[in-house]
Amino acid sequence: MTALVTLPVLLPLLAAALSLMLTRFATIQRLLGLIVLLLIVLDAAWLLQVVDSEGPVVVQLGGHAAPFGITMIADRLAALLLLVSAVVTLSVLLFSIGQRITDYGRDTSSTAFHPMYLVLCSGVSLAYVSGDLFNLFVAFEIMLAASYVLITRRTTASRIRAGMTYVIVSLAASLLFITMIALVYAATGTVNLADLADKMGALPDGIQLGLSLLMLVVFGIKAAMVPLHFWLPDSYPTAPAPITAVFAGLLTKVGVYAMIRTQTLVFDHMESWTVLLVLGSLTMIVGALGAIAQDDINRLLSFLLVSHIGFMLFGLALFNELGMTGAILYVVHHIIVQASLFLACGLVTRHTGTVSVNGMSGVAKAYPLIAVLFALPALSLAGIPPFSGFIAKIALFQAGVQEATPIAYVATGAAILTSLLTLYAVGRVWVVSFWGEPSTPHPDPDPTDELIVGTRVTSRSMTTATGGLVAAGLLIIFVAGPLSGISERAATDLLDPSSYREVVLGDSAIAGGGE
Amino acid sequence: MLLAIALHMLVAVIVLLIARRAGRWVFAIAAAVPAVTFAWVMSGSAATLAGDARVETLSWAPKIGLESVLRLDVLSFVMIILVSGVGAVVFAFYAAYAKPGERGVGRTAALLSVFAGAMLGLVLADDIFTLYVFWELTTVCSFLLVGGDGVSRAARRSAVQALLVTAIGGLAMLGGLVLLAEASGTYRISEIVANPPSGAAVNVALVLLLVGVVTKSAQVPFHPWLPGAMVAPTPVSAYLHAAAMVKAGVYLLARFAPGFGDVPAWWVPAVVLGSLTMLIGGYRALRETDLKTLLAYGTVSQLGFLTVLMGAGTRAAALAGITLLLAHGLFKSALFLVVGVIDRQTGTRDIRHLSGVGRQSPALAVFAVLALASMAGLPPLLGFVGKETAFEAFTYGGTDTFVLVAIALGSVLTVAYSIRFVWGAFATKTDLPDTAVSTPGIGLLGPVALPALAGLVFGVATPLASTVVDGYPAAMPFGPEASDLALWHGIGVPLGLSVLALVGGYLVYRYPASWQWLCGRLPSALNAQRGYERAVTGLDDVAHKVTGRLQVGSLPAYLGVILVAVFVVAGVGMISDTPLPAEWRWFDNPLQVPLALLVLAGAWAAVFAHRRITAVLFASVVGYGIAALFIVDGGPDLALAQFLVESLTLVVFVFVLRRFPAHFSNLKSIRSFRFGKLAVAATAGILVSLAGVLYSGARTESPTASQEYAERAVSEAGASNVVNAIIVDFRAFDTVGEITVLAVAAAGAASLILAAQRSARRPTESDEDSKASKRKEASR
Repeated sequence: MTALVTLPVLLPLLAAALSLMLTRFATIQRLLGLIVLLLIVLDAAWLLQVVDSEGPVVVQLGGHAAPFGITMIADRLAALLLLVSAVVTLSVLLFSIGQRITDYGRDTSSTAFHPMYLVLCSGVSLAYVSGDLFNLFVAFEIMLAASYVLITRRTTASRIRAGMTYVIVSLAASLLFITMIALVYAATGTVNLADLADKMGALPDGIQLGLSLLMLVVFGIKAAMVPLHFWLPDSYPTAPAPITAVFAGLLTKVGVYAMIRTQTLVFDHMESWTVLLVLGSLTMIVGALGAIAQDDINRLLSFLLVSHIGFMLFGLALFNELGMTGAILYVVHHIIVQASLFLACGLVTRHTGTVSVNGMSGVAKAYPLIAVLFALPALSLAGIPPFSGFIAKIALFQAGVQEATPIAYVATGAAILTSLLTLYAVGRVWVVSFWGEPSTPHPDPDPTDELIVGTRVTSRSMTTATGGLVAAGLLIIFVAGPLSGISERAATDLLDPSSYREVVLGDSAIAGGGE
Repeated sequence: MLLAIALHMLVAVIVLLIARRAGRWVFAIAAAVPAVTFAWVMSGSAATLAGDARVETLSWAPKIGLESVLRLDVLSFVMIILVSGVGAVVFAFYAAYAKPGERGVGRTAALLSVFAGAMLGLVLADDIFTLYVFWELTTVCSFLLVGGDGVSRAARRSAVQALLVTAIGGLAMLGGLVLLAEASGTYRISEIVANPPSGAAVNVALVLLLVGVVTKSAQVPFHPWLPGAMVAPTPVSAYLHAAAMVKAGVYLLARFAPGFGDVPAWWVPAVVLGSLTMLIGGYRALRETDLKTLLAYGTVSQLGFLTVLMGAGTRAAALAGITLLLAHGLFKSALFLVVGVIDRQTGTRDIRHLSGVGRQSPALAVFAVLALASMAGLPPLLGFVGKETAFEAFTYGGTDTFVLVAIALGSVLTVAYSIRFVWGAFATKTDLPDTAVSTPGIGLLGPVALPALAGLVFGVATPLASTVVDGYPAAMPFGPEASDLALWHGIGVPLGLSVLALVGGYLVYRYPASWQWLCGRLPSALNAQRGYERAVTGLDDVAHKVTGRLQVGSLPAYLGVILVAVFVVAGVGMISDTPLPAEWRWFDNPLQVPLALLVLAGAWAAVFAHRRITAVLFASVVGYGIAALFIVDGGPDLALAQFLVESLTLVVFVFVLRRFPAHFSNLKSIRSFRFGKLAVAATAGILVSLAGVLYSGARTESPTASQEYAERAVSEAGASNVVNAIIVDFRAFDTVGEITVLAVAAAGAASLILAAQRSARRPTESDEDSKASKRKEASR
C-alpha cells in the first residue's frame, strides 16, 4: 500500500531523468510520459479507494519515524487531489504532444519540455502527500524550478521578461517560505506537520497568530490571493496554452491545498479568520472586475482564475464542515475547468491567430466543436447549473448562510455577485468572439513564439485531450453524490485532525521498533 | 415526471443529429414530446385536481443538499397546460412557419426542446435547488434562442441583456432560497410553504425571491429586456416570452404565496411593482407600431397584472390570478402566432404598412379577434371571467381600493391596445394599398386556432375552468373565501368596472390625445432601458479603473506589496500577544558586533550605489559578513558553503554585468522611491528578525528532533557529523529534491543560453529543431 503514496512522486522523477537521456527517440519519450502519467492516474484512483475505506496511508521515508525523518501521508484530500491533478496533467501532456507533432513534426524530440513536465508532475504530487513542512518547501521548489523552465521556453525576449516577473515573485515567496520554516522551527523545534500540531498549541497566542498569518501570506502568494495576486495575470498569459493550462489548473491550487492543510492541521481556528473571509471576498471581486476589463482572452481567464481562488478561501475561512466540503469541491472543479478553458482557448487562438477578444469573430460558426469545448467549462465556471461549478458553489453558499454572521453574509453576497460578474465576462467573450460572422485568421506574427500560433491546424489529439478534460468536468455532474461524500469525509478529517496526527505519530513506536 | 424531462433532453440530441435530413420537420418531432407529456398529465388529472400530489425523488448529492424532488400539484398542472400544451402547439406551428431548407432549424429545435424540458422541470420542482437548476437552464436557453446565430448586433445586445437581467434575478433568488431553507430547516418548497418561517433573515430572503420574480417576469424596472428579446423568431417569442418562461416569475410568486401572502415584505413590493408595470406596459403598447413589440409591451403589462394578483396573497386574488394565468397563456400565444403568420405571409408586421389583411384572410382575423377579446375581457371568454374575479378580489376597501383603481386603469389600456392591434393588423386603411397576403394553410392556422378556441371553451364552460383552477386558491390560508368563477356575477362593482374598461379603452384608442400629452413628460428616471445601459457601462468603467489602479505591471511594486503584507502580518502577531524574552543578550561573542555592523553597512551602501558592479560588491559584503558570523557561531561547514555560493555568485554577476552599462540606466526612477522602498524593506527585515528572536525565545523545551538527530547520527547513520547525517540519511529525500531543483535549473539555463545562441545564428528559426521550423515555413 505504501508504494501507492510514493509512486506518484518517484515515478515521474525517474521518468524525467530517463526522458532527458532519450532526447534522440522522440516517440519513446512521448510514450514514456504518457504511460507514467496514466500509471499515476490509476495509482491515485486506487489510493483514493484505499484511503477512503481504510484511513490515511503513511510512509516514513527511510524508516526514520516521525518527527525525525520525512513523513509522506495520503489522506482523503491528498488522494482526491492527486487523482484530479493526474487527470489534468495527462490530458495536458496529450494536448502538448499533439501540438508539438503538428508544429514540429513527428521526429522532433524535446530537450526540455518532456523532462521538465515530468519533474513538475512529481513536485505537484509531492506537495500533496508531504507531511513535513520542509519537505513541502522542497516540493514547491521542484515544482517551481520546473515551471521556471517551462514558462521561459521557446519564447521571445519580451515574454521572457514577463516570465521573470513570475520567477522573481516566486523566488521571493520561496524566500519567505524558508524564513517561515525557520521561525516555525525556532518556536517549536519541529517541522513535521503532525508534530507541529501538538507543539503549536503550547505557544502564546500572538506567536500562533503571527505564524499562521505568515503561512497565509506565503501560500497566499502561490495561490494568488488578493492583494498578493498581481504577478499571476502578468505572467501566466505569456506561456503557451498547455503550459498555462497546467499552471492555472494546478500550481495555484497547490498553494490553496497547502493553505488548507496547514491551517486546519497546525492551527486552531481563530477569531482573526475574518481576515481570510475579507481577503477571500476581495479576491473574488477584484479578480472578476479584472476579467471584465481585459481584451486578451488569456489575461481574462487568468483574472477569472484569481477571482475563483476567492471561493476556495471563502470556504476555508468559514471553517465549518459544509464550507470545507465546498472548498474541496471547488478545488476539484476548478482544477479541471480552468485547465480545460485554457486548452480550449489554445485551440481557439490557433484558429484565429489572435488572443484579442475583439479581434475574433464567429468562432462558433466556423468551429462549432471548439465553441462547445469552450462553452461548457465557461458555463461551469460561471456556476450555471447543473455543471460542476454550481455543485461546488451551492455548498459554499449554504455554508456562508449557515455561519449567519454579518461578515459571512457579506462574503456570500460577494460570492453571488462574483458569479454574475463571471457570467458577464465569459458571456462577453461568447457574444463578441464566438457569435457573428467568422473573420479571417490573423497571420502568425512570430513563428519562433509558441504563444500565438495562428496556423489554423489542430491535430486530433489536441481536441481529444481538450474534449477528455471537458468530459471529466461533466462527469462531476454525475458523480456529484459520491464526490460530495468523499469531500465531506475529507472535510471532517480536516476539522478533526486527531486521526491524522495519530497515524503519523502513533505509528512511530512501531516503525522505530522495526529498525 | 423525471422521464418526461429526460425525454425532452434526449429528443434535443436526436433533433440535432437528424436536422440535416429532416429539415424543418424536426419541429414536428420535437412537438411530440410536449404533446405526450401533456396527454400523460391530463390522463392523471382526476387525481391531481383532487389534491393528490404526485412526488418523485432523485438523489444527486444529498450531502450538500442536492436532491431532486418533483411534485405535481394543481399549480404545476395549470402551468403544464401552458408549458407542454401550448409548447406542443407552438412547435407544430414552427414546422409550418420555418421556410423549407432554412438554416439552423436543428439548433433552434434542440434548444426549444431543452427549454421545454427545463420549463417542465421548473414547474414540477419541489426543492429549491432543482428549481434553481431549471430556472437557470431556461435563462441560458433564452439567451441562445434570442441571440440566434448572433450575426445581428441587435440580437446580441438583446441576448446579453436578457441573460444579465435574468441571471441577476436568478442569483438573488438562489440567495433567497438558501436563506429560506436555512431558516426553515428543509429544502422542500412544499414544506417551507406549509410551515413558513419568519424573522429578519426571512424578510431578506423574500425580497431576494422577489428580485428573481420581477426580473424573470419583466417587471418594472427590469422590463426592457422582454421587448428587446423580440428579435427572436416569432414562435420562440410566443413560447418563451408569452406562454412559458416569463411566467416563471409569476409562478414563483404563486408558489410561495400560500406561505408568505401575509408578509408585508412579500406582498407590498409585488403589488406596487405589478401595478406600475401594468400601467407602464399598457402605455408603451399604445405607442408601438410593430405588432410584435406591441404584444411584448402588452405581455409586460399583463405580467404586471398577474404579479399583482399572485402577490396580493388572498384567496380571491389567487383564484383570479390562476385563471388569468391560464387565460393569458392561451390568448397571448395565439396572438404571437397570429403575428407570426402575418409576418410570414406579408413580409411585414408594421401597422403603418398593413392593410386589408382581415378581408383577405378572414379565418386568421376571427381567431385573432377571439384571442384579443379574451385579452380585453369580453364575455364569454376566459379572460373576462378572470378579470371579473380580479376586480371582485379588490372590492374590500382599504388599500385595496388603490390596487382596484390601478388594475381598472390598466384594463382600460389593455382594451385600447387590443383595439389598436385589431385595427392595425386587419383593418383596411383608406390611405394604404392592400398588402399582398399569401393565404395561410392549415399548418399555420390550426395552431393559432387551438389556444384561441380553448379560451372560448374555458370561458363558456366555466365549471370546467373551475375544476382546473379551484385547487390552487383552496390552498391559500389568507383572505376571505373566494366566490366561484362565473360568467355572470350579477350587477355589481366588477361588472361596472368591466364595462368601464371597455368604454374607456375605446375612448383612449379613439382619442390618442388623451394620453399623448404624456410623451416626453415622464421623468427620464423611468427610462429603464437607459438605466440598464448606464449600469453596464458603469460596471465596465469600474472594472477598468480598479484594474488599472491595481495591476500596475511593475515588479518592484508587487514585491513591495508582498513585503508590506509580511510586516503587517508579523506586526499583528507581535502586538497581539507575544511574550518578551526574560533577558536580552546583545551578543554572544564581541566579534559579532563589528560583523553585524559590516553587514548593515554593506546593505545600506548597496542601496545607494550608482554603478551596478558597486551594488553587487556591496551585496556580497553582506553575504561574506554573514558567512563570517557563521564561523563565529561555530558553523564552519555552513560558512564554507556560504563563502562558496557568495564567490560563485559574484563571479557570475561580473560576467553578466560586463554586458550591461556600468551605471544603472534608470537611476532617476530608482531614486524617486528609494526611501520608500528602503523603509518597506527595512521594516520587513527588522520585524522578521525581531520575530526570530521572540519566537525562538518562546520555545519551552529544547527541540526533541535535534537532540534525537545528535543521538542517532552515529548509531543509525554511521556519521559523526550530524549535519551530514541529516542531509544524506535522515532527510535524504529533501536532498534528492534539492538536487533535482539544481538539475532543472541547469537544464533551464542551458536551454535559454542555447536558444539565445541559435537565434543569434539563425534569427528566423526556432531553437529546438531547424528541420521542424523549415517544415513550418514551408507549410505556410
